[in-house]
Amino acid sequence: MVQAVLSHSLSRALLRTLAIGMLAFAIFGPITNMLLWAVAEVWYFPHKLLLEYGFVFWERVFRPEGNATEALFSSVWIAVLTVVVSLAIAIPAGYALARGKMPFRYLVMLLFLLPQAFPAVAVHMNVARTFYGLDLNGSVAGVVLVHASQGLVFAVWIATAAFAAVDGELEAAARNMGAGRWRTFVDVTLPLALPGIMASAIFVFLISMDEFTGTYFVGAPEVVTLPMLLFTSSMEGNYQIASISSLILLVPSVGFMLVIERFLKADVLANVGN
Amino acid sequence: MSGHSMSVGPGRMGAIMLVAPALLMIGFLFLYPFGYSVISAFTDNGEGSWHLSNFVKAVEFYSKDILFTIAIVTIATALIGILAVAIAGYLTLGENKIAITVLKWLYRWPLFIPFIVSAQLMRTFLAKNGMMNNLLTSSGIIELLAAQSYLDWRGIVITFVWKQTPFVALLVAGAMASIDRTTIDAGRIFGASRLRILIELVVPQIATTLMVGLILSYVVMLSVLSVPLMINAQSPTMLTVDMAWRINSYGDYGVANALGIMSYLFTGVVAWFYLRQSLKDKRA
Amino acid sequence: MTLKSVLTGAISVAAIAISVPASAETQLNVISGGSQNMVEYVTDYLGPLFEEKYPGVKVRVTGTGPGDAGSQKILEKLEAQAASGKEQWDIDVIVAAQKKTGQMKEMGLLAEYRDNITTGKMVTRSTAENALGVYVGGYVMPMFHSQTAIAYNPALVPNPPETYDELREWVKKYPKQFGYNGIKNGMSGVAFVTGWMYTYAGDKENLQKGPYDPKKKESWDQAYTDLKAFNKNITFTPGNAGTLDMLNRGEIVMGPVWVDMFYSWQADGRIPPNLKLKLIGPGMPGQPYYYATPAKAANKELAEKFIELATSPEVQAEGIVNRFNWYPGIDAEHVKAKLDQKIWNKLFTDVTPLELAEKGQPFPIGPYFDDIKEGYEKQVAN
Repeated sequence: MVQAVLSHSLSRALLRTLAIGMLAFAIFGPITNMLLWAVAEVWYFPHKLLLEYGFVFWERVFRPEGNATEALFSSVWIAVLTVVVSLAIAIPAGYALARGKMPFRYLVMLLFLLPQAFPAVAVHMNVARTFYGLDLNGSVAGVVLVHASQGLVFAVWIATAAFAAVDGELEAAARNMGAGRWRTFVDVTLPLALPGIMASAIFVFLISMDEFTGTYFVGAPEVVTLPMLLFTSSMEGNYQIASISSLILLVPSVGFMLVIERFLKADVLANVGN
Repeated sequence: MSGHSMSVGPGRMGAIMLVAPALLMIGFLFLYPFGYSVISAFTDNGEGSWHLSNFVKAVEFYSKDILFTIAIVTIATALIGILAVAIAGYLTLGENKIAITVLKWLYRWPLFIPFIVSAQLMRTFLAKNGMMNNLLTSSGIIELLAAQSYLDWRGIVITFVWKQTPFVALLVAGAMASIDRTTIDAGRIFGASRLRILIELVVPQIATTLMVGLILSYVVMLSVLSVPLMINAQSPTMLTVDMAWRINSYGDYGVANALGIMSYLFTGVVAWFYLRQSLKDKRA
Repeated sequence: MTLKSVLTGAISVAAIAISVPASAETQLNVISGGSQNMVEYVTDYLGPLFEEKYPGVKVRVTGTGPGDAGSQKILEKLEAQAASGKEQWDIDVIVAAQKKTGQMKEMGLLAEYRDNITTGKMVTRSTAENALGVYVGGYVMPMFHSQTAIAYNPALVPNPPETYDELREWVKKYPKQFGYNGIKNGMSGVAFVTGWMYTYAGDKENLQKGPYDPKKKESWDQAYTDLKAFNKNITFTPGNAGTLDMLNRGEIVMGPVWVDMFYSWQADGRIPPNLKLKLIGPGMPGQPYYYATPAKAANKELAEKFIELATSPEVQAEGIVNRFNWYPGIDAEHVKAKLDQKIWNKLFTDVTPLELAEKGQPFPIGPYFDDIKEGYEKQVAN
């Protein structure tokens, strides 16, 4: 009896380890590939592993003429601004779409989907034309607006879902206790919806970090971001340069997520007592 | 809106005011330029009047690719949904602390790899003599001769699932973390298996978030160019490749925009349906 | 974090974003629709050289990716500025592929400048006047000439095919060992198909020089049917880079590539050093990359000076031939004089000058080119 239970839990543990092992392989297999290419200097068939490795290509990426450092900083800066702008307009919009008497709201939500859903190759020229007309070209503000309009659907939809998930009874209770609309929103609704909204911040940040075509049409040649440099080397199959660039991009993205999570935990915990 | 007499949400005017900044932004920066694309789909290559010849040509040349695209994206979305629920479910209901910690650390990494890099990684990973087959043959799991290339529709699906599962899983895990645990505990007490608890108690509560995540993934996959371009741009291929091809090779915006509009209509129908369902449920 | 603090934050941050100061020195914006090494050529070599000669000028280069797709993005950026009625455009020098440059000229997006620069007379090749049927004389200077050829592994293919006919026999004997990238991703596949049509559709002269006859495509059925049969015995590769990739991993032993790309991959250790090139008969196409300047470039004169420097015999010798192993854009006699014979000969390690002259073909004129590609989509890819 004891033996049976023991072997049962043992086989479960085995199964669990196996499942996690497979997942680790699936996730890190391709990433290992990237890490290897980042230090590969010579690597060709039939050799399964690198022939020569080193940091020659890192030097090439970071040479002063290459603008990689400048591009990295402007990427991060633009991504942060994009998150701020997107959230600032998505939070009220999401609240209204989830809670308000918004006319045609499905239609409105579908409109936000459009910039992501319509393959951008055919629209970018017209977007560029509009931005030239508004004199927003070549400025960080222009690039932020392009990224924000791409990322807005994530911010708005996720905010809408988050607000919709907040229990209406709690808000009604606050209102019944005499809290005004604004107080109810700030003290009850927003904190409850915050985890979802913050998750959307991560995605908006990542979208901005990924974007290159809009950046080119609106920002270039004045504004250069790392994904723009990455794009040429990737399309071209320059694996070393592309791998190094995406490794560099990884740092701010992961950093941003950790910051958000820390902030989130503290905030949510702080609200539990209220 | 619950059945209470005092409404908590903003009224009609208030709602419009709150949505206005977002709408204005999308309107000016996207819908207005997009209007040119729509017009081009109905007028380019004609005699200046409105006509459907671009749509006819799009169907004539690319009907296979239209079906291929829908199939790829649907399969990938289904797989992403299953995997995301499984991962988030284990994070919520799992009992082994170590496994949860490892999983939590593990699953998010692809989220941070840009699409274009994912495509490139997969191109060298999934190839016939790529790293995956190298590892599998060296460790004796498969025979050298059995090694095959996955750089076809499977490669596209694998890349999409790899890249998008963490996105949905992250959203769903967040939603699961904030649901009411009393029902789960009740289910436990009555001896229901964790799988049943997940499917019957947890998933219905996070359905809205799951749907939002899946629709967003679906849409992103439909419009990404680099993945199909770098993994399989042969016939059949995905519509974005065809659009880029029409523009870059022939300067033909008419057919490209017609394809784009068709691709948006597929999304629009799916998205509208789910939005209606899920938001209606919440309001009832 | 309250809503109010988010909003005030956003506003103050937006204010900072708009007030980013412009730099004092003149910036010359170069935009390159070429591969990574072409972008680096300007970043590392040409740009610094120009800055040295013209103090106070900063050269800034942006890459838009290789092939027609990259050049199309340049065209679109210019077209957007023209459509919005801008008086000064933000691009000074463009580097673009042949067909798209012709289109830009036709759309009135380019300026005529060749007579203003001293190197203008050093080009006599027909591609300096004619871009796939569009007259571009005066509007362009060739940066370098690029050529497609078949890359192969001599260890596994000691006697590579010499012609398309021999290649057809070869793939029957060794199925799936030859690979190319179709036509939708990358010009090396397009070039291979074009070479096929030159061989089997007939009347190459007319395809390359016109006049265009819309009925002509009806006589190409057999060529396409044969190509479809040929495709059954080959491996499709994912893109220009994908072909080199598969050569690198030994999944194919032969495939069409761009000569300049081939050499840069070899230099970066991404393909085995023993791979070689073969330009097969009756011929495969190549194309020049052009320097041009937009009609409303903000720094028109500097742009002309830049192109003048870029097409000077010294730069063509040192930069194009010696450093990058590309075929020069201006006439060979001007360049050859500036170089050691040994370095010059390095250009012709795999493909001799005679072969290049005989088998290096231009692409067909625009309308035929479109017909060839659409025919492939309809009759081969389906």
